[in-house]
Amino acid sequence: MVCPFLCAQSSIQKKQITAVTGLFLILFVLGHLAGNLFIYLGHEAFNGYAQKLAGLRPGLYLVETVLLLIFLIHLYLTALLVWENRQARPVAYRQWQMIGEHSIASRLMPWTGTVIIAFVVWHLRDFTFADGDGPRSILSDGQSYGLYGVVYNAFADPWHSALYILAMAALGFHLSHGIQSFAQTLGFYHPRYTPLIRKMSNGLGLLIALAYSSIPAAVALGCLAVR
Amino acid sequence: MSNTINLTLHIWRQKNLNDKGRFEVYKAADIDTDMSFLEMLDVVNERLTKEGKEPIAFDHDCREGICGMCAGVVNGRPHGHLPQTTLCQLHLRHFKDNETIVIEPLRSKAFPVVKDLVVDRSAFDRIIASGGFISVKTGAAPEAHTVPIRRENAELAMDAAACIGCGACVAACPNASAMLFVGAKVSHIKLLPQGQIEAQERVRKMVAQMDKEGFGNCSNAYACEAACPKGISVSTIARMNKEYFAAKLTE
Ligand code: HEM
Ligand code: FES
Repeated sequence: MVCPFLCAQSSIQKKQITAVTGLFLILFVLGHLAGNLFIYLGHEAFNGYAQKLAGLRPGLYLVETVLLLIFLIHLYLTALLVWENRQARPVAYRQWQMIGEHSIASRLMPWTGTVIIAFVVWHLRDFTFADGDGPRSILSDGQSYGLYGVVYNAFADPWHSALYILAMAALGFHLSHGIQSFAQTLGFYHPRYTPLIRKMSNGLGLLIALAYSSIPAAVALGCLAVR
Repeated sequence: MSNTINLTLHIWRQKNLNDKGRFEVYKAADIDTDMSFLEMLDVVNERLTKEGKEPIAFDHDCREGICGMCAGVVNGRPHGHLPQTTLCQLHLRHFKDNETIVIEPLRSKAFPVVKDLVVDRSAFDRIIASGGFISVKTGAAPEAHTVPIRRENAELAMDAAACIGCGACVAACPNASAMLFVGAKVSHIKLLPQGQIEAQERVRKMVAQMDKEGFGNCSNAYACEAACPKGISVSTIARMNKEYFAAKLTE
């Protein structure tokens, strides 16, 4: 039922639904980041936040279901758009110059998006469904530090951290195009503010990638002590 | 004093709609650099005709950059590399001696190649036609000042109306989308008082027709704006997006 509804939309509507779902995903990404940053306040604050979130449980399931649905709609529509776009030029150019301010960023969208999906699956296994009191939560002093310990141990592995940072770079790229694209797709244009929005889009993408990556970097650099 | 240059041309040759097409190499020797790109093709064609070969088919009409008939992708850019210049106004002084130039038709499912560099752009005409009419009172011409138009809107409408419908936006778009063309057409009427009554119906129908023609979707790459010989801004696309959103809400 969802598919015929989404398929039947015009090109602009598909883009606009993509943009709105993208906005919700951005809000989630920002909320999630705010939660992550509790880690800098120590394991009590971080675990306390995680437990408070888990305490919202029955209601949280609803939010998670909606989020999953939004994610799936975004995924489905973007796949459809990319597919249609491929069809629109059956014979390729022999010579082709990439022009336009956002050509590279926009062409990367399906790739950065795919990295994001792969990351989400891995990340859910890694942290969300991890056993918070299991062996992965035990730090060097032999005590369990709950989710804090799980995160710390995961990022103590440089490969793990590198993969995580790579995924965050992909997310940052995705958003550097996505945020300004959202404004354009929903019809906002202003001779003065649009160039600012495009700059802000790049800046915010970079900032989000850096803020997320700061945690594995902090573990690797030993800034996040066992407390 | 005018200079001359020698060029090697890789040109797309395709007999008709069903032909697969291929590139062929031509030499253009001693070409006056004051010639336009199309005049250079004329010289090549004259030689081909004398040799009893089929001349290269390409579209053109005014040759002064206002009709939108000429089009072709030169070295990977619609209308060549000069900003805001149609192919007919691109002069050979902007090319180097002994340069190799690749010339291809505008490539898009919605613009089938009719022959060589000539593509069928009637999809654009059908989009325009789908926009329908505007309602005006007939009778004696009214006094011009009876319908006030904000200066800003007059300017923006004029900017959008500069679109000559050449199809460079579609050719430049990584998705072969026609959003800049349709955005310009929707904008220039919507910005004027005469365009208000049917505005919502117009944008709905033009977008529906655009989709039907098989153009791609917009990814906001803004390649169209960079390729447009008339400098149409992607703000026209944003305006169309907004208009369309409102029109769908109130449908
Ligand atoms: C946290 C996750 C994500 C966020 C915050 C996000 C955000 C956005 C935003 C804001 C846009 C711009 C919409 C527009 O063009 O107006 C966008 C576009 C896009 N997204 Fe995502 N996205 C996410 C995940 C994904 C995933 C998993 C995929 C799947 C491969 C994906 C694929 C795309 C593609 C291909 C586009 C471009 C669509 C087009 O322009 O034709 N995104 N995204
Ligand atoms: S021939 Fe008229 S615009 Fe080039």
